[in-house]
Amino acid sequence: MDIVVALKQVPDLVEELEINDEGTGLDPDVLSFVLNEFDDHALEEALLLKEETGATVTVIGVDTTGELDQALYTALAKGADRAIKIVGDFEEGERLPIPVMARLLAGALQQMTYDLVFTGVQAADDLDGQVAPMLAALLNVPHVGVVTSVARVNGVVKVQKEFWGGITADLEVDLPAVLGIQAARQAPRYAPVSRVRQAMKEATIEEIEVEDLPEAPVAPLRRMFIPEVSGRAEILEGDEATIAEKIVDILRERGLIT
Amino acid sequence: MLTLPERIAFVLLVVVCGSIAARGFYRIYRAITRGEGEIPLHLFLRRVIPVTVEILLQKPILKARPVVSLFHAFVFFAFTFYTLVNIFDLAEGFVGFSTLHRGGIWGVYNLIADLLSVAALIGMAALLIRRFGLKPFRFNDTVLLNPHVPGGIPRDSLIVGTFILLHVGSRWFGQAIRIAASGQPDWWQPTASVVSFALMGVSEQALTVGEHVTWWLALGLILLFLPYFPYSKHIHLIVAPLNWILRDPERPLGQLEPPTNGGEGAARLQELRWYQLMDAYACIMCLRCQDVCPAHNTAQPLSPAALEINKRYFLNEHLADFAAGTMEPPPLLHMAISKEAVWACTTCAACVDICPTGNRPMLDIIDIRRHLVFSGDEMDPNLQEALESLARQGNSFNKPARRRARWTKELDFKIKDARKEPVEYLWFVGDFASYDPRMQENTKTVARLFHMAGLDFGLLYEGERNSGNDVRRVGEEGLFEMLVEHNMKEFSKAQFKAIVTTDPHTYNALKNEYKAYGLDVPVYHYTEVLADLIESGRLPLNDKLHDVVATYHDPCYLGRYNRVTEAPRRILRALGIDFREMPRHGVNTFCCGAGGGRIWMDTATGERPSEQRIKEAAGLGDDLRYFVVACPKDMAMYSDAVKTAGYEGRIEVIDIAQLVARAVGLNGEGASASTPQAADVARSPAG
Repeated sequence: MDIVVALKQVPDLVEELEINDEGTGLDPDVLSFVLNEFDDHALEEALLLKEETGATVTVIGVDTTGELDQALYTALAKGADRAIKIVGDFEEGERLPIPVMARLLAGALQQMTYDLVFTGVQAADDLDGQVAPMLAALLNVPHVGVVTSVARVNGVVKVQKEFWGGITADLEVDLPAVLGIQAARQAPRYAPVSRVRQAMKEATIEEIEVEDLPEAPVAPLRRMFIPEVSGRAEILEGDEATIAEKIVDILRERGLIT
Repeated sequence: MLTLPERIAFVLLVVVCGSIAARGFYRIYRAITRGEGEIPLHLFLRRVIPVTVEILLQKPILKARPVVSLFHAFVFFAFTFYTLVNIFDLAEGFVGFSTLHRGGIWGVYNLIADLLSVAALIGMAALLIRRFGLKPFRFNDTVLLNPHVPGGIPRDSLIVGTFILLHVGSRWFGQAIRIAASGQPDWWQPTASVVSFALMGVSEQALTVGEHVTWWLALGLILLFLPYFPYSKHIHLIVAPLNWILRDPERPLGQLEPPTNGGEGAARLQELRWYQLMDAYACIMCLRCQDVCPAHNTAQPLSPAALEINKRYFLNEHLADFAAGTMEPPPLLHMAISKEAVWACTTCAACVDICPTGNRPMLDIIDIRRHLVFSGDEMDPNLQEALESLARQGNSFNKPARRRARWTKELDFKIKDARKEPVEYLWFVGDFASYDPRMQENTKTVARLFHMAGLDFGLLYEGERNSGNDVRRVGEEGLFEMLVEHNMKEFSKAQFKAIVTTDPHTYNALKNEYKAYGLDVPVYHYTEVLADLIESGRLPLNDKLHDVVATYHDPCYLGRYNRVTEAPRRILRALGIDFREMPRHGVNTFCCGAGGGRIWMDTATGERPSEQRIKEAAGLGDDLRYFVVACPKDMAMYSDAVKTAGYEGRIEVIDIAQLVARAVGLNGEGASASTPQAADVARSPAG
């Protein structure tokens, strides 16, 4: 069984984020990047599956940060077998629109053999979690999101999917499929630095070069901003009678009662 | 004296028992050499005399338990002298040589032998009474123990104790018999002579039989004991001195060796270094290490003694196969120490410091941690978070590296950037002092004191990273190297003559660990610098703190590891406070529980070492107000412990710099500033 895990880096929230002068994105000067937490869980689930079934794990990502190597080598150090990065004429630190990112990944995947594609169910810059479903649509394979466990039993892949209200569903998935991973069965493992360094020395990251960005329907970004404070809550203090009186005063003041 | 059959029997016993013992020793030697590294035999000539002197003075054992050590000294000196006694007694048996009724040098010899015999008997009897009556063996219930240990240790103690009593007692009683047979007392052997009076009426024939029987019980018994000797606790009398002699004298306690097993750490016995295997045979099972272990003292499953004893029992049980290399031993975590115990270690080195036989169980624990980290074993989530933060940001607080020196913005003077202008002292502040809001006040105080004294100092600012002391002790060697490389690069950009640190852990790393990476400047702890500044008059103490009653806690990495115990006391004396020592102080300090990365882990339930320590301080008197510390981690640990142990409002944890600041008038209490710099500082809003 071949598992491909799509990884993406997101701005590290340890740093205070700043908006660039144009107001169209984050200021790249103060940005540092870290692997999307959900992708880390996707990788962990893939590695667990590898340990259980002997599957191969390939990690792939679009290098929009110039730092993706770090994430890929770390994945290799943790036990991934192969690492691929998609490179092109991206501006460093630029956020690629999700439809473009999904098309780049789908393009690479179409050249590969895979049974399962894992990716984080969402990311700090993709809270609506579009990558997995878009990827599945582009590849024309089934998709399951919000997955918390993947197992292969007698040749059949079974996944657990979370719903609202604490309900979990067991699903059987036809392969190949794309899964959006919510959480791995255990916390992502630690990558010892000496293993990461070993991977940097010994492993190679394959590169796929793309000439032009794929066409995709993208909503243009007009303005990025930190939400402005619109008003403050006022706490009314005193005993019940005083507070009731104050409420009446306020309502009267605003002309809601007379 | 001996008959021909006796002579033949003796020689036969020498050959048979001697060869069985020799095979045992040879197997142990081969087992030890299965460990990694070369035995540095060249150290032998250099170290044998100084170590012998230390042992003759009983220094390693006199570090603790004075009464027990005295009894041990009785047995030890008797045994040492008995080497001579046994040779002359052998000569007596075979060629009839006798020292009886001889004066001069022989008289002195007889006197020493007589007195030491009694001393050994008293000593051994006392030790046996202690072992089997007053202080039986005990480990915490959760300590991993070879199932044969609980029965095996008392049996071994009994065999060895009985052997010594019989061996020495027979020789002593034999002398009494000889004196009785001679018909007159030999006052060079006073105690034997006194006993001989009781034998005066016994028949000549019976005395001759007695002479033979006691000779055999004294000397033949040694031969019978020989085959058992390599496997008994008695072997410490050979291995313990070797352990001291063959220890690399150039490597300080605070400098670890790189991991074994090709960098992967030790999972199994043979992946430890040779001396770690030898430790198992040097161990005398006195449990002194366990007594001082902060983990064992707080009911954790760690006993450094059990680790060595388990290794020893495993080796003894599989010695031939292990020595020959025909077996793969089980993982250390299955037979020597549990994983919980490995992570419970605070690397305080109390076990190493107290061990009379020169063992270093802590090193095994670190090597096992290295294996666990390298093999990706699941670790404490808080620890993992700290390591990931250290790898990304260079600090364990998951704060941006560039915010490390943010605390300096609240000072009303600018601290030099050592990368931009030369300074005399490079102040390496450390993570806790830089990032922990509770500690930043102290850090600013230290800065103000340095500034007030006109010290020429600077920082690396955002270039500084965690020194890696505890990262290395957690077993994350790769991350440690990464941090060292970064800091070394920053050092190369700066110009300075010496380093001063806030954190004792940092102090240890820079002083000892970084040496191996080429750092070659003097490293000082801020207490050392402050003590000098006070004594040279650059920090004038205008207000002595006579009404302050305080005790001082020695940080492990300052007091025990690096023997810096005087500097803080010089400061406290100069301050004129009412200073009281806790029972465990100086190099014998008791760990706060934060070392070796423990500060990043979830503490287990139950009493913490820091709470025990606060209670120890509270025992110094109801008027004791201050618990003085000189380590940011201590500040964190003990501030919590004072609350959880219920001493809030009674005992206050305070950094030594705060007391100095008070005495020089920095904290606005009393004093008028006497120097222009002081006046500047006193106006500082936060001062």
